[in-house]
Amino acid sequence: MEKIKITINGREIFAESEKSLLEIAAENGIEIPNLCYNKKLKPFGACGLCVVEAKGAQKLLRACSTFPKDGMVIKTESERIKKARKFALELIMSDHTGDCKGPCSLNCPAHTDVQGYLKQISLGNYSKAVEIIKEKIPLPASVGRICPHPCETNCRRKFVEEPLSIAYLKAFAADKDLSSNAPFVPKKAEPTGKKVSVIGGGPAGLTAAYYLCLSGHEVTVFDSMPEMGGMLRYGIPEYRLPKKVLEKEISFIKNLGVLMKNNLSIGKDISFDEIRKNSDAVLIAVGAWKAGKIGCVGEELSGVISGIEFLREVNSGKIPEIGKNVAVVGGGNTAMDACRTAIRCGAENVYVIYRRTRAEAPAEDSEIEEAIEEGVTFRFLTNPAEIIGENGKVKAVKLQIMELGEADSSGRRKPVPVEGKFETIAVDTVISAIGQKFDAVGFDSVELTSRGTISAGKNDCRTNLEGVFAAGDSTNKGASIAIEAIAEANLAAKAIDAYLSDIPFDFFEPYYSKKSVSEKDFSETPKIPREKMTFRNPEERKGNFDEVILGFTEEQAKKEAKRCLECGCHDFKDCRLIRYANLRQIEPEKFKGEKHRAFSERKLVSIERDQGKCILCNLCVRTCGEEAKKGILGLVGRGFETVIKPEFIDPAVTDFCRNCKKCAEVCPTGALKIFEK
Amino acid sequence: MKIVIGEGSCGIAAGALKVHKAIENALGDDCKIKIGKTGCVGMCFLEPVVDIYEDKKLIRRLVKVSEKDAENIVFAAKTGDFSKIEYLEISSEDEEFLNRQTRIALRHCGTIDPTSLEEYKASGGYKAIEKVVLKMTPEEVIEEIKTSGLCGRGGAGFPTWYKWNAARQSKMEGKKYLICNADEGDPGAFMDRAIIESDPHCLIEGMLIGAYAIGASEMIVYVRAEYPLAIKRLENAIKQAEKAGILGENIFGSDFSCRMKIKAGAGAFVCGEETALIESLEGKRGMPRLKPPFPAQRGYFGEPSNINNVETFANVAWIIENGGAKFAELGTENSKGTKVFALTGKVKRSGLVEVPMGKTLREVIFEIGGGIRGGKDIKAVQLGGPSGGCIPKKLLDTVIDYKALSETGAIMGSGGMVVMDESACMVGMAKFFLDFTAAESCGKCVQCRIGTKRMQEILTKITKGEGEEGDIELLEELCEGVKEGALCGLGQTAPNPVLTTLKYFRKEYEEHIFEHRCGAKECSAMLRYEINPEKCRGCTICAKNCPAKAISGEVKKAHVIDKNLCIKCGACSKVCRFGAVEIF
Repeated sequence: MEKIKITINGREIFAESEKSLLEIAAENGIEIPNLCYNKKLKPFGACGLCVVEAKGAQKLLRACSTFPKDGMVIKTESERIKKARKFALELIMSDHTGDCKGPCSLNCPAHTDVQGYLKQISLGNYSKAVEIIKEKIPLPASVGRICPHPCETNCRRKFVEEPLSIAYLKAFAADKDLSSNAPFVPKKAEPTGKKVSVIGGGPAGLTAAYYLCLSGHEVTVFDSMPEMGGMLRYGIPEYRLPKKVLEKEISFIKNLGVLMKNNLSIGKDISFDEIRKNSDAVLIAVGAWKAGKIGCVGEELSGVISGIEFLREVNSGKIPEIGKNVAVVGGGNTAMDACRTAIRCGAENVYVIYRRTRAEAPAEDSEIEEAIEEGVTFRFLTNPAEIIGENGKVKAVKLQIMELGEADSSGRRKPVPVEGKFETIAVDTVISAIGQKFDAVGFDSVELTSRGTISAGKNDCRTNLEGVFAAGDSTNKGASIAIEAIAEANLAAKAIDAYLSDIPFDFFEPYYSKKSVSEKDFSETPKIPREKMTFRNPEERKGNFDEVILGFTEEQAKKEAKRCLECGCHDFKDCRLIRYANLRQIEPEKFKGEKHRAFSERKLVSIERDQGKCILCNLCVRTCGEEAKKGILGLVGRGFETVIKPEFIDPAVTDFCRNCKKCAEVCPTGALKIFEK
Repeated sequence: MKIVIGEGSCGIAAGALKVHKAIENALGDDCKIKIGKTGCVGMCFLEPVVDIYEDKKLIRRLVKVSEKDAENIVFAAKTGDFSKIEYLEISSEDEEFLNRQTRIALRHCGTIDPTSLEEYKASGGYKAIEKVVLKMTPEEVIEEIKTSGLCGRGGAGFPTWYKWNAARQSKMEGKKYLICNADEGDPGAFMDRAIIESDPHCLIEGMLIGAYAIGASEMIVYVRAEYPLAIKRLENAIKQAEKAGILGENIFGSDFSCRMKIKAGAGAFVCGEETALIESLEGKRGMPRLKPPFPAQRGYFGEPSNINNVETFANVAWIIENGGAKFAELGTENSKGTKVFALTGKVKRSGLVEVPMGKTLREVIFEIGGGIRGGKDIKAVQLGGPSGGCIPKKLLDTVIDYKALSETGAIMGSGGMVVMDESACMVGMAKFFLDFTAAESCGKCVQCRIGTKRMQEILTKITKGEGEEGDIELLEELCEGVKEGALCGLGQTAPNPVLTTLKYFRKEYEEHIFEHRCGAKECSAMLRYEINPEKCRGCTICAKNCPAKAISGEVKKAHVIDKNLCIKCGACSKVCRFGAVEIF
């Protein structure tokens, strides 16, 4: 074959004249993006991504079909090329419903690959499942028990009958893995010699420590409490998260080589500056341990205690004197933990004072249900007007009766007092569970937000101090759920690792093509009820802190995991379209307009086709014609209406198809899927 | 004396066949007076046209003839007394339509019988091919075409000699093809159809010369199936030529052999693009191929092929006969010879117009077309159909020249020339063409398939009064991207109607978007119909004709339109005899 000299991006290359520029570039390690090209097939030129500039040529050339001429000077990157590629991608995306990731994963703050681990659980591969989970969550047995699971809330199975029991399946897999003979052990990089100090041993701190340790850094976690775990240990009651489960997961991290130092309060036992001086990077992940105020008369009385403090006491093994009658103020999960813990501490009458109704309460509904089962009395639409004391001690609480008024900016209806309507209930203790705040003592040099939290970069977790990062409840918007803190810690670990390696880091939320669905889309999906979780009965659980749930049997867990609809695109990991879309930072919504309807049809012998994902690259059509020598598929219609046909269901066609599945194999966007019968 | 009826498709549509029959009946068996037919002379606005010849000389041209005029025509022909048909004679003003043209491609249109080989030969036909095969080398033919400066008349305007030469050089042995693109798809364009219907032998001769030049042994005419008469007349001409030894083996006794066939296309606009045309010829879906390889290298079934448009071929025999230099005398520095236009729209005289390059648009529209009908002012002229653009009134002195027209943002195109008066909405105009290209895109490349769709959606939005700030910029971005990235000429030129209207009529877009107003009152969604109570006489005719029952009022009292019910169809305004329905 004739060899000729061409120049690509300033490099002189000897190329075979029979090969396209795309092939020549690829052979020389120069990637030219493309979606409709396949080495085995004739060039087609539909996607227009492979455009390059040739010196002297007015138009951009499609590299897939341009053959070299001696002395040709080619550029594969330039502003003009970038613009043309971005334009093509934006157009493709405007008519592509990729359904890249399932709503479970998209709604998980840590973007855990839920579909991936559910699949492994359904197959009984628990260690493999844990490996997938631990890409994002190093404490799955703990988190799986306590997470308010936005994944489940958004699970599309709810349009069929009920969402999957995702959170608990995670805990199930982790329990199985931890108790197995060969639990999953992550790979650890070679030591880097860099020291990272993590202040705070809660979910955020432990998560960051785990990933930083795996990256080869020397990590020390400092914590002011006697044991590690943070709010997971001192905020969550034993009956929801047994300490031994948490301890197992913490020792796993410790065994990887993370140093853990307890009973060290910043500013008291050790100064922040000292930690900084001895570290290459610092992560502040101390959480939000200061309680919010009720803001009524009598708050200073003895017998008024914060929920955080109360739970910490109990979780430290003490049983505080709370008397027989207890009022818990608040409607969140801390309030639920407090009221149910109060019952377990021997209180006979426990009232939850909440100014809105059950529907608005931020607590999990199942938590409210379980509290009611255990005998807690809910006083919705009431608000403490005054805490009445006697001899400096709480005697009663005067409640203002409320009603719901206009909706506020968050869309929730605002509670307003009903004038002159009050009620007084006799109580011995008032537990205020309204809000948590970061305590800035000891962190004087760190810049705070107007809310009093640490100001940390949204895309890099950086604080105002060089080499100091922050994540979790102590930062920005303040306290939230554990999985949020874990997600931030994931980001912080990446940012710190990049910082220590002197690599610029600026995270941007990747773009995913999303699909919206409704019940109608699942009208034909067979109904499989959600596996019932067994609980200890309310009477049995009242007097002790034993775990309330009894868990799934292995059979149940597998069955439950199999209910997964596998919403996320099966081709996501190999999808060049989404990769390019994110590389180029396109604006996928720019050219929004009519889209092809996304629906799956199972017609050709063993192929399922989704029109919404098809980008008309014609690889399937050409493969069927040129490779499989069948020519069953073809384009029908014109303009935007063009689709790939023929109707698979026609027996004359399906008979002709020899079921080689080559069409599905070449599909770059997951529009064709081989289905298992 | 001979009575000749113009029987092109348009003449037939206007009743030419009935006129023919009526004249035949009126003649009875008088054999002194002959009756004949011819093709289309190009005066659409005067069809049916009947010509009376004496000694092969045109002595009377009768226009807008109907069956009932037959007796009078026959009487005049028999007696030589034309007084009874004076009312049918073409006015001297309308004669200007033809007098001001220079006809080369259309030289036989409307003057000879397209079904008669003899008539074609009698008018000098097939002399050029005879000369070519007997006395010229292919190189000499190409040289002559080069001297003439003839460029492709299908739209792109590529030098014909260059393409021929490339195909000639491509390979010396083996099969080559010469293909005629008669897939005339631009809305409003009918030059090619008229040529084939009126002078099919001229196409055969032009093609034969081309085939000889490049060394092709087979010729294919790709013609739209929607042109049945053209196909029929061309089939007939091919048979006649074969019989006469003009097509087939050893043409005129030379060693040049060439056959010809017709392929009817199913009507996809994109098949006018040469590589898509080849795909379609091969029996595949009409989609453009990637270039290179160009058809001259690898075309029909992989063999070197040359494709030219009908009008291009129609010039070839004339050039050989009269010399390339004579052809090159006509026109401008960059553009030689003549160009045929299908002049339509709001002009007084519409039809086929052939003028030398270098004439101004104003001359064509006002001197040949007679200016605007209905007393309004001209606003713009659209050239080149869906691939072309709108040229505003202020640029009417632009000359017909490939380069000069391109500089305005429009293109010479295949010859569509639509004249618009003040009542035309330019956004609506752009939308009309984008509706067309979006629907006709073959769907292969992303830029054209989705890009034209998005442009069409935005234009639809704007004409509905739902435009938003940023729409113009988005349109511009789409135009630029589609132009840059589309695979074939169809896509690359699809943004032109939008780009030119944005360039010259941006204010109209802004009016639509920001003031929700269509100045031309064409975008019905933005109109408001009201009855002026001063003018309304209460005749109730509007209420009776309103399909939405939106008009109410008592007899002899002013009526009112319910805005919520009004569907803005304009029926009331059309039926009102007092001009009481006002449109805002």
